[in-house]
Amino acid sequence: MTVLLEQESAAHRATPSSIFGTSTIFGWIMVLPALSLFALFILVPFIQTLIYSLYKFGLTSPTKQFVGFSHYIEIVQDDVFWIAFENNIIIAITGIILQIGVGLLLAAILDRGIKRGKSVISAIIFMPIVISTIAIGLLWRLVFDPNTGMIEELFFNMGWSTPMRGWLGDPDIALYAIIFVGFWQYTGFMMIILLAAMQGIPRELYEAAKLDGAGPILSFFNVTLPELRNVLIVCVLITVISAFKVFDLVYVLTSGGPGNSTQVMGSYIVQNAFTIGRMGYANAVSVVLLVIALGLGLVQLHTSRRDK
Amino acid sequence: MIRMPFKTLRLMMYVFIGGYCVFILTPLSWMVFTAFKKRSEIFANPSGLPSELYFGNFERVFSSGIGTYFLNSLITSVFSVTGIVAISTLAAYALARIPFKGRMWVYMLIVASYAVPLHAVLVPMFQLLDGFGLLNTLAGLILPYIAFGIPFTVILLYAFFLEFPKDLEEAAKLDGCSQLRTVFSIVLPLSKPALLSAAIFQVVFVWNEFLIALLILTSKGVKTLPLGLTSFQGQYSSDWGAIMAAVLLSALPIVALYLAMQKHFVRSLTGMGK
Repeated sequence: MTVLLEQESAAHRATPSSIFGTSTIFGWIMVLPALSLFALFILVPFIQTLIYSLYKFGLTSPTKQFVGFSHYIEIVQDDVFWIAFENNIIIAITGIILQIGVGLLLAAILDRGIKRGKSVISAIIFMPIVISTIAIGLLWRLVFDPNTGMIEELFFNMGWSTPMRGWLGDPDIALYAIIFVGFWQYTGFMMIILLAAMQGIPRELYEAAKLDGAGPILSFFNVTLPELRNVLIVCVLITVISAFKVFDLVYVLTSGGPGNSTQVMGSYIVQNAFTIGRMGYANAVSVVLLVIALGLGLVQLHTSRRDK
Repeated sequence: MIRMPFKTLRLMMYVFIGGYCVFILTPLSWMVFTAFKKRSEIFANPSGLPSELYFGNFERVFSSGIGTYFLNSLITSVFSVTGIVAISTLAAYALARIPFKGRMWVYMLIVASYAVPLHAVLVPMFQLLDGFGLLNTLAGLILPYIAFGIPFTVILLYAFFLEFPKDLEEAAKLDGCSQLRTVFSIVLPLSKPALLSAAIFQVVFVWNEFLIALLILTSKGVKTLPLGLTSFQGQYSSDWGAIMAAVLLSALPIVALYLAMQKHFVRSLTGMGK
């Protein structure tokens, strides 16, 4: 993401060579298709979400009744909203620890630890990311299944006990089962980003550390980690932003249940709008999500700008 | 600080990363095994190899219409990705190379929109598509996919075009090439790797997209693969053989594409971390 700002400031410094002269009309014609689709499907709906969060209306009743900020007051008092919000936060924090932590370890091993089999290993670890989350979710439903599941079989063979209501049926466990599947699918993503950054660290730094008597572990802490600071910040932000966007995995694994124990903001918006038919309320929850997402986006801009 | 012989450390690292690969591959191989097992065997022997290759699961999946879902996904992917890349290339090139008024505003708007989550515009977008009469059509899916694919692709290609050597374009101009001809005969052919990276990233996104499809498509004939998978799950409930056969079939093309184009795909992703 910081690449954007780099490019942007580069563009400010050196205005693109005017080999074509100033051709404002030509320029606008070229950006017009992008702008119009973008306006139609992102910008206008964005404004509509803001406005219609103040109205009460349903899927089948198109008449809109102005209710002011009452949806927002309702959100503050809505227990399910707070469960969803808390779950998003838990997913974000565990994602940072598990996906970035393990991704960092895997990247470090691939970068400087081992010599053989690197491309095969990274291809394997990355593979789950290209498969649809729905397919991955169905696969893990089988793995978790209390009757035919492999985890059940594994625990049985080991003599360990498994939750009575199943891994996805127990309100205290289901969220962590979802987090585990997310970890399994997405850790390779962090690994690839961190690996690319590690490969950009000048090898002389490691040589110098070696001359100072630092072993591989010490040079990871003294050379690799400090050099990765900016990329790690970007990774944290990507993880937190995607934690707030999570939907598919929850939908396919638990649909927010049992009870509302695994509800997240994304699934709560969809449930309100398209199952219950409270579209205005769904819009208000969307606005909360939007504020969080844009806030995180600003943090991202701010951190990358400070580094320049 | 811990000191240990480097050989021991290296061995530990091989064991760790090898173990991690097993952790990734085990569920994936269960998926393949289950797809080839008879129902009775799935219950009796969940995690073992199938005792014989049984194709009945695939037959059931094909007879309940996975072919249609497959075709819908293919049509949607081809049109969406072509649209995304064509429209984004035009915009990114203009933003990077043509000094027109308001250029920075357009760019900032596109960058800002990248942060807007899909959920946050879901309800109005649904109403918009409803108003256009595009519910239950593939066009109703393709248009938002293009719109949501544009920001990331423009950002990616903008960075590429900024670094594109200007000398080549200037030389073409000296040779009397028109503006458009320079773009089509000099810039685009040399941009193939960047365009391919952008395209592959979007193929994976479009092929796997679920949320918009869930809301827009309700009748069976227009469903795409991820949506089709969930309806198989409803239909077969615990017929895991059929479900895993469908999951396997839906994942195969995209995994094959990934393995063939790994470098391009990874390049577009690492752009996010820079």
